Amino acid sequence: MRAAGVIVGAAILGGALPVAAQRSLVVAPLVSLAEHRVDAGFGIEHSLGPILGGVATLRFGSRLTLAGRALGGSLFGSTGVLDRDVGELGVEASVVTAPWLAFQARAVRRAYSTKLGRQTWNLVGLGATARAAFAGDAIHGVWRVTLLPVVSVSGLRDPDVAFRAAAGLEYRVRTATLGVEYSRERYDFPPEAGVRRLEQLSALTLLLELRVH
Amino acid sequence: MRRLAWAVVLAAGVAPRLAAQGGTAELLGQAHQFYERLEVERALPLLRQIVSPNWPFEVTPDQRVDAYKYLGACLAVAGKRDSAVLYFRAAIERDPFTDLDPSLFTPAQLATFGEARRRTLAVAVRPVQPARVDPRTARVTFTVVATHAALVDVKLSAIGVGPLLSLFQGTMDGVREIAWDGLLADRRLAPAGRYTLAVVGRSRVTGASDSARVYFDLRHEVAALEDTLPALDRRALLPERFSPEAARRDVARGLGVAAAALVIAGAATGDLGGGGRAEADVVAATAAVTGVVAFLVHRRHGAIPENVAANARRRVERDSANASVRRRNADRIAATLLLVSPAAGEGTGP
Repeated sequence: MRAAGVIVGAAILGGALPVAAQRSLVVAPLVSLAEHRVDAGFGIEHSLGPILGGVATLRFGSRLTLAGRALGGSLFGSTGVLDRDVGELGVEASVVTAPWLAFQARAVRRAYSTKLGRQTWNLVGLGATARAAFAGDAIHGVWRVTLLPVVSVSGLRDPDVAFRAAAGLEYRVRTATLGVEYSRERYDFPPEAGVRRLEQLSALTLLLELRVH
Repeated sequence: MRRLAWAVVLAAGVAPRLAAQGGTAELLGQAHQFYERLEVERALPLLRQIVSPNWPFEVTPDQRVDAYKYLGACLAVAGKRDSAVLYFRAAIERDPFTDLDPSLFTPAQLATFGEARRRTLAVAVRPVQPARVDPRTARVTFTVVATHAALVDVKLSAIGVGPLLSLFQGTMDGVREIAWDGLLADRRLAPAGRYTLAVVGRSRVTGASDSARVYFDLRHEVAALEDTLPALDRRALLPERFSPEAARRDVARGLGVAAAALVIAGAATGDLGGGGRAEADVVAATAAVTGVVAFLVHRRHGAIPENVAANARRRVERDSANASVRRRNADRIAATLLLVSPAAGEGTGP
């Protein structure tokens, strides 16, 4: 959270924010089919379910965007696995450095809750997004990689390895953009008592961006 | 001492010239005074001195014409009509614009002068005066003269081009002002350059001919013109059709997204049993199909409507901007002013 704030603040102080007249607002409702897998030494538990949410993106000129996202849903566990609800709030600042490349800083707070308890995750990531236009500029291929150097999970030690990767397509129809993306987050926690905890969250997401201002 | 020496040297250099001008002018002034006091016999020798080849001082053309004119006037008063005519003709030949003021000279003198004009055909045009003329509202004027009734042809020519325009053709007697609107025969503004105005006259009395010409430079004063926008080259236009390479790249990009989705799903799975593979397959299949469809569509319908429309917009904007530029330039050209200045002989012009 702090790192993202620093990046956004530096961008503002550095004059990266263009004049207000160039601002635009884009909202994007999204729906995901998410699968959560975890192996804490007792076998692989997986749960699957829909997540609904939305992203509001404020564009400052053609280079800088600030986005806030809110998601929530339920993941239904497989046999013997508890169902859990998931909720997430996040902010992201993105700077376009080339027509095909942008860099992001993001901060996310996520919570999983079951009937037995609640676990919160705080994530800070730095990443890059590459876009390639298909002929005609109506379709873009999108590739994302985000390193998560700061991850804190309640009740657990910080993971050794944490990253997120995604690939997808964006179809632009007039002022709307339909996106389809496959993403996966991976967390490898350090061994405790000889057991190494692994977690991953993969999702197939459909997102419809609508320019409102 | 040195200053005194310099003063003497300067005085010695300047004095002869002053004396020359002063000598002729002084003598002419004295002759005028004698003439006005009707002391014609005293005026005549002074005037004869001035026109004599032996007169040691410089005589300007105007002074010589004046001397001949007053010689004629004096002799007319003295009743020597033939001699008077002779001197009046000498004055007229040297300056066809020479005339007698009826309020200063007697009818007999005027009649004698008229006789001299009848016997002498001379045509002339006054040197062009510097002028700044707006051809929309004003005219360039030339003053020509024929000493008696004559068929006169006044032609304007551009140096190196030949006669362009006849400004006057007809009979005239005396002084006439001829106006020129700055246009040539094709009704276009005369281009900048050196021009000559030629006057040719043939006497209707004696059949004698005479001609004269003056030179002048013509320049245009026009506000700076704007350049039109250059033609839109390939760099300024978007591609309007997909190239085969672009179509093939579509396939590659679609496969690139598909591969990335599969790699993410496979590589990150590790010990967690390959979950989420179906979602990755959906994205991979979608991307691959999109790439192939884009390839096929672009191969079959190569046009890029957005780019065609954008290029058309750019062409319309350019044409509109150029039309505005041409309109403004036309207004500026229409407001062109003509700058006329006298010139000496044929040359290259301004």
